[in-house]
Amino acid sequence: MQTSPFLRIESLTAAYGATRVLDRVDLDVRRGELVALLGSSGCGKTTLLRSIAGFVTPESGRIHIGERDITALAPEHRGTAMMFQSYALWPHMSVAQNIGYGLRMRGWKKEAIAGRVGEMLTLLQLEGYGPRPVTQLSGGQRQRVALGRALAVSPEVLLLDEPMSNLDYKVRVELRHELRALQQRIGITAVYVTHDREEALALADRIAVLNAGRVEQYGTPEELFHQPASAFVAGFMGADNAIDVVPAANGGWQAANGASGGGSMRAYFRSEAAQLLGQSPAGPGALVLSGTVAQMLYVGHGYRYRIRLPASEVWVHAPERIDQGTPASVAVPQEALLLFPLHEQRAA
Amino acid sequence: MRGNEATRQQRTGLALVSPALGVVALFFILPMLMSVVLAFRGKNGGLTFEHMAKALDLYQNDLLFTVAITVLSTVGIAICAILIASYLTLGGSERTRTALRWLYRWPLFIPFIVTGQVMRTFLAKNGLLNHVLIGGGLIDPGSAQSLLDWRGIVIALVWKQVPFVTLLLAGAMASVDSQHIEAARNLGARRWQVLVDIVLPQVRGTLLVGLVLSFVTMLSVLSVPMMINPNSPTLITVDIAYRINTHGDYAVANALCLLSLLLAAGGAALYLRHAVAKAVPAA
Repeated sequence: MQTSPFLRIESLTAAYGATRVLDRVDLDVRRGELVALLGSSGCGKTTLLRSIAGFVTPESGRIHIGERDITALAPEHRGTAMMFQSYALWPHMSVAQNIGYGLRMRGWKKEAIAGRVGEMLTLLQLEGYGPRPVTQLSGGQRQRVALGRALAVSPEVLLLDEPMSNLDYKVRVELRHELRALQQRIGITAVYVTHDREEALALADRIAVLNAGRVEQYGTPEELFHQPASAFVAGFMGADNAIDVVPAANGGWQAANGASGGGSMRAYFRSEAAQLLGQSPAGPGALVLSGTVAQMLYVGHGYRYRIRLPASEVWVHAPERIDQGTPASVAVPQEALLLFPLHEQRAA
Repeated sequence: MRGNEATRQQRTGLALVSPALGVVALFFILPMLMSVVLAFRGKNGGLTFEHMAKALDLYQNDLLFTVAITVLSTVGIAICAILIASYLTLGGSERTRTALRWLYRWPLFIPFIVTGQVMRTFLAKNGLLNHVLIGGGLIDPGSAQSLLDWRGIVIALVWKQVPFVTLLLAGAMASVDSQHIEAARNLGARRWQVLVDIVLPQVRGTLLVGLVLSFVTMLSVLSVPMMINPNSPTLITVDIAYRINTHGDYAVANALCLLSLLLAAGGAALYLRHAVAKAVPAA
């Protein structure tokens, strides 16, 4: 993997009518890297992908692949191949015709196309499916054909628009591993749009979290997970508890309980990071919150509790069963607290 | 008990549709059968092929002319409708698309007879078309010629029928998944390749239906050939009218009607074959 950027997006701005969808987006993707664009619907991630593909004309900004400026090029001249959310397989063509279409457009000879289609079918474990109509395939098989169609033309950049969103959970998890292994094996540069945090974390070398048309944070999955740059990213990465805190005498933090003053912050933490205190005392410097169990949900590998606090409530994960209404104390280790200034709005 | 119930329901159903069936039988099927029967009935009431032979003998050229004109017009309609519908759905600037969308439907609301009249003044030797061509310096006045022959009929029929097929086709094209088109563009297809490879195969059925219906409509048009070119060779509708109006010769007219019907049946067969072919994979 090279360190210099291969796909380079500079200050890209795009709008649909009066609505600005992308606002000065910068993004670098290295050769052979898989970058996930993560965000909730309407954040601009698909527009960014479609701008790279050439289906959206940006108002300003540049897009480069290698040394080439592709900003103004037609989709067919960009060297990108896109895999669509609906797969967009052509129903009047067979599997082989679908996969070979891009090669036909490039003027390949029949035998050469057949050879390349065969390679693709082997690569995607679809041997023998060539002559079948695509209408007879399962969701997972269609997905593979769509991937094969995009890969057959050996694109410089592979663009994937939520390619798993139409599949069952089980198939999705399976294909996720396959896709990642395949991408690494052929070493293709890929940009992957998703709204699924788990998918982004599992697949990507780097993740760009988008919010309201801007890149909120861009980094490795570990960085995003452990050091979110903003309250928004913290929320998106699963830190779903938020509580206002003030500095405590022991150097740690304590719940603000409505008090505001110098040094007060908003703390975010994951429900798995918190502990329900039974007999064991809280660690040094931990944030301790006292309340009562307001709700209990069984989630398979333990329980999720909603703990009502004097001024708010938090969700906590615990392996043991505790009845509703029981008084409970929650301890959050200092290192699990993600602290942001109070004025920063959390939106997830 | 249940059997009785079912029979009663069947009877009620039959009673409900019988007025409609009666109208169809009385006003459509019966006259058609009469026409067929009379085409083969001699003066003494016996079976004869005399009328059919006479029709073929006198109007063989016109029959061929009719087939040629309608087929040619159908091809012309197909080309124009594909061009307009694909421009409306696939490309061009928004402003020209809006203008085209507004313009192309007008002939739908203009009767055939008016179309014929409009074309007469437009295509005549001293008509508007030649004036424009001469004024624009495209042809010199000496070479201006009247288009009021077979060309006029084709132009009038195409002009009149294109909007109908375009209307059907543009609707079908608009319902093709836009990602199908983007996927092809993304893989290197130019606009015309997208049209030929991706869009047209998916709207083939609609196009065929539109063309068959136009073909059958054009077979029955009397006013356009009457207005533009009533002299032989002309369409057999003119001949049918002539046999009846001038000679009172219903027998030969019926024979010509039957031949016309056979041509239309050819179109219908094409239509049905497509409809059946489409229904089989779904079943």
